[in-house]
Amino acid sequence: MLFAYIATYVSFTFIILAYAYKVAKIARMPLHLRWELYPVPHEKGYKYGGSYLEELEWWTKPQERSSFRSLLYMLKKYFLFNRYFRKNKRYWMSLYPWHIGFYLIVLFHALAFFGALAMLTADIEVSSVSVSSMGIGLYYTTIVVAVGSFVTGSFGSIGLLVERVVNKDLRAYTFPVNYFNYVFFLIVFLSGFFAWYFFDPSLAAYREFWKSLITFQFTYVEPATYTHVMLFSLFLIYLPFTRSTHYITSLFAYFGVLWSDKPNLRGSGVEREVQELLEKPVSWSAPHVQSITKWSDIAAGGVESK
Amino acid sequence: MKKGTTVKDVSRNPAEQLFSITAEELMPLTCSEGESNGKPPVRQLTEEQKNTYECSLDGLSAVRLPKPQSKEEEDKLVASFLSGLKKLLSKEDNWTFLQPLTISLEYCAKCQLCSEECPIYLSSGRQEIYRPTYRAEVLRRIINTYIKKGNKVLAKFTGNDIELNWTTIARLIESAYRCTLCRRCTQACSRGIDNGLISHEIRKLFSQEMGIAAKELHQMGTVQQLEIGASTGLNPKAFEDMIEFMEEEIEEKTGRKIRIPVDRRGADILLLHNTGEFMAWPENPEAFAIIFEAAGLKWTLSSELGGYEATNYGLWYDDVQLAKIAFKQAQVAKDLRVKKIVIGECGHAHKAAIVTADRVFPPELNIPRESCLPVLEDIVLSGKLKLDPQRNNFPVTLHDPCNMVRSMGIVEPQRRILRAICPQFIEMEPHGVENYCCGGGSGFAIMNSLNFPDWRSSISGRMKMKQITDVFGDVLDPSLVKYVCAPCSNCKGQIRDMFSYYNIEKQYNIIYGGLVELIVNAMVDTPVRYLEEVLAVEEVPAIDKEAFV
Repeated sequence: MLFAYIATYVSFTFIILAYAYKVAKIARMPLHLRWELYPVPHEKGYKYGGSYLEELEWWTKPQERSSFRSLLYMLKKYFLFNRYFRKNKRYWMSLYPWHIGFYLIVLFHALAFFGALAMLTADIEVSSVSVSSMGIGLYYTTIVVAVGSFVTGSFGSIGLLVERVVNKDLRAYTFPVNYFNYVFFLIVFLSGFFAWYFFDPSLAAYREFWKSLITFQFTYVEPATYTHVMLFSLFLIYLPFTRSTHYITSLFAYFGVLWSDKPNLRGSGVEREVQELLEKPVSWSAPHVQSITKWSDIAAGGVESK
Repeated sequence: MKKGTTVKDVSRNPAEQLFSITAEELMPLTCSEGESNGKPPVRQLTEEQKNTYECSLDGLSAVRLPKPQSKEEEDKLVASFLSGLKKLLSKEDNWTFLQPLTISLEYCAKCQLCSEECPIYLSSGRQEIYRPTYRAEVLRRIINTYIKKGNKVLAKFTGNDIELNWTTIARLIESAYRCTLCRRCTQACSRGIDNGLISHEIRKLFSQEMGIAAKELHQMGTVQQLEIGASTGLNPKAFEDMIEFMEEEIEEKTGRKIRIPVDRRGADILLLHNTGEFMAWPENPEAFAIIFEAAGLKWTLSSELGGYEATNYGLWYDDVQLAKIAFKQAQVAKDLRVKKIVIGECGHAHKAAIVTADRVFPPELNIPRESCLPVLEDIVLSGKLKLDPQRNNFPVTLHDPCNMVRSMGIVEPQRRILRAICPQFIEMEPHGVENYCCGGGSGFAIMNSLNFPDWRSSISGRMKMKQITDVFGDVLDPSLVKYVCAPCSNCKGQIRDMFSYYNIEKQYNIIYGGLVELIVNAMVDTPVRYLEEVLAVEEVPAIDKEAFV
C-alpha cells in the first residue's frame, strides 16, 4: 500500500516540475517580431477587430486597453470551448466533456486535499451529517465534482476516440499514441467511477488517503481506490509528455504572440530589448546573409544587398 | 494521387505528382466562363520544364527549383536543409520568430478546425496537400525524427517516421508557396496555432540557409530593390520621369497644376508607394497627390534609392531582407527629417513597416510610421475636401487586404470613407477581419513562374472571385458598372489577373481600383469625374441596397 503514497508524492512533484520546466522554456524565449492577429480583445475596437493603428498618429495617443475583455475571452475559451462550438459542434460534443473531465478531476483532488486538511486542522467532519455546514458542503461538492469528472471524462474519451476513428480527416492525423491516450484516460476516469460506485460512495476512503498523505501516517487503502490512485499517478507523470501543456502555453500564444501589439516606442522596455537583440549574431549561410555578422550591422548600413 | 494523400507520401515516388488539378474537383463558381472552354484550370508544364524543375507536388514550380544532377548534390542539399532547420529552432539564430514557431509546432491538436477556413483548401475541392496542417505536419515530423531524434522503436507509435530525402524537401518548399499566409486558419484555432507562420518559417529556412526562394521575391524583389531602388526595377531616374508624367496626367485629367513634392526636407510626411502603382496604376499615386495637396498637407516623396518604394517582400520569406529594406526606408526618412512615414495603398508594406519590422528598429531609425487610411479618413471626414457622393453612385464593394485588416486591425477608416462617399457601398461576406485573401497574398500576385499564374487564378483566388460575383449577384447586368475597391497594390494585381482569367470586366462590367481614386472621383471641383474613362457609363441608376442583403 505504501507504493500508492510514494506514487502520489512522486507524480505530483513530477508534474509540477515538468510543467514548470516546459513553461519556463517557452517564457524564456526572446522577444519576437510582431505577428499579432485581429480581433485582439484588449483593443477598443475589438467588436469589429479594430486596433490602435486606426488612430491618426497613434503614437501620440494613449492606448486604451481592456484587460477585462482579454480575461473574459480566455475564460470563454477555457471553460466553454466556444470556438469549437461555433465551428464544429459535433467535435465539441466530445471535446468539451473530455476537458471538463480533466478540470473536474483536478478539482476533485484539490477538494479531497482540503477536505482532509479541514478534518485535520479544524476538526471538521466532512460528511452528510456533519454539524459543520462547511463539512456538508465539502462532502457533497466533492462527490458531485468527482462523479462529474468520471462521467464527463469517460464520455469525452470514448467520443473523441470514436471521432478520431470515423472521421477520415481526423484519422489521417491521428497516431497510435493518440488512440492510446484516449484509452488510457478512459481507464483512469472509469477506475475512479468504479471505486466510487462500488466501494466508496461517500469518498471517505479517498479523504482518508489524503489525510495519510498529509500526516505521513500511511494506512491501508482498499484495492479499488488503490487502483485509481495508481492510475491517476501514472496519468500525472504521463501528462507532461503529451500536448497537455497547451493549457498554459495557450496563454503565451494569445498574450505573447497573437495579442502582443506593444509597439517599440522611444524609451520603452521594448526598445531596450530590441537593442539587445540586435547584437545577436546572424549565422545563416545563404550568400545574401553571409557577410552580416550581427543584426546591428544591417541597421548601421553598408551591408551588401545580394 | 488525390484527396487520400498522406503525410508520408511527401517522401515517396519522386517521379509522380502528389496531386493533379482537374476542373471537376474545384469549388463551383457562378462566373466560370474563363474555365468553360475545356482547358485545364492549370496548364501542364512541358516535358523539358518538368525535367528541369522540381514540380512533383502538384505539377507547378513556383520556386523554379532546379533538379539536382547527382545523388551527392541531393545529399548536400538535405544536409543544408537540416543545418537550417537546427538554426530555425535556435534562440540565437531565430530569435525573430522562435516563440511563435515553437508554440505552433508543439501544441497543434490536429483537430482540423483550421482546414475549413482556408480558401485554398476549400477552393481546391479539399485536396489534402493544400490542407493548412499538411505542410506543418511534414515539418513537425522531420523535426521530431531528425532534429529531436525521438526513439526509433516508438517512431511508428508516435507518428514520427517520415523519410527525409530530396523529394521531401523539394515538395516542402513548393508547399510553403501554396499558402498565402493570410492566417485565416490561425483565427479559427482555439490554441492559437499559426500554420501561416509555419509556411513563413519554411520559406525563411530555405532562403536564409540554402539561398532558395521564389525569384520574384528575392532576385527580382528584395535584391533588386536594394540595388536599383525598387522591386519593379524602377530606378531613381525613371522615378523622376514618372513624377513628371504624373503631373502632366493630373493636369490633363483634372485641370489642376500640381507640383508633386520630391525630396522636400522637413516635410511632415514621407509618403511611400508600392512602385507597382507608378507602373500599372499611376492614377493611384496621382490621386494621393491631388488629395494631399487639396488638404494642404506638408508631404513629400523621395527619389533616393530605397526611398520611393514601399514594398518589402522580405516580410514573406526572409527576416534579414525584411530588416535591410526597413532600415533603408527609415534612413531615407531620417535624412529628409520628416515627422512620419505614411504607407500608401499597399497591404504588405503596411504590415512590414508598421508592425513586423517594428521590433528591429534601433532608436535612431525608429521614425513613426502609419497607414494612409487614418490620414485619408481625417481628410475626408473633416470636410477639408468638397465631395459629392453622387459622383460615386454605382455599386461599390470593398476587398479587405489581409495584411491591413487581419494582421493590423485597420478595419473601419476605409469603411467610414466609403460610407461617406459611395451611396451604394455594400460589404462582401465575410468581410473585415474575417475576409478572404485575394489569392495573391504573400507574393503570389507578382509570382509568374511557369504555370503558377493559372493556379493563383483558378485556386488561390477562387474564393475571392466567388465573393465578388456573389456580392454583385443581383446587379451582374453588364450595363451597370460595379467597382471593387482594393486598397492594396498586390491585391489589385491579383484581381486584375483574375478578372482577365474569368473575363469578368467584359462579362459583368466589374472594374477594380483603389480607395483614393474614389475620393478624387467624388471631388466636386474637377470638371470631369476622375474615373470617367473607366466608369464608361455617365448616368448610373441607383439600385436598391436591399437587393444585396
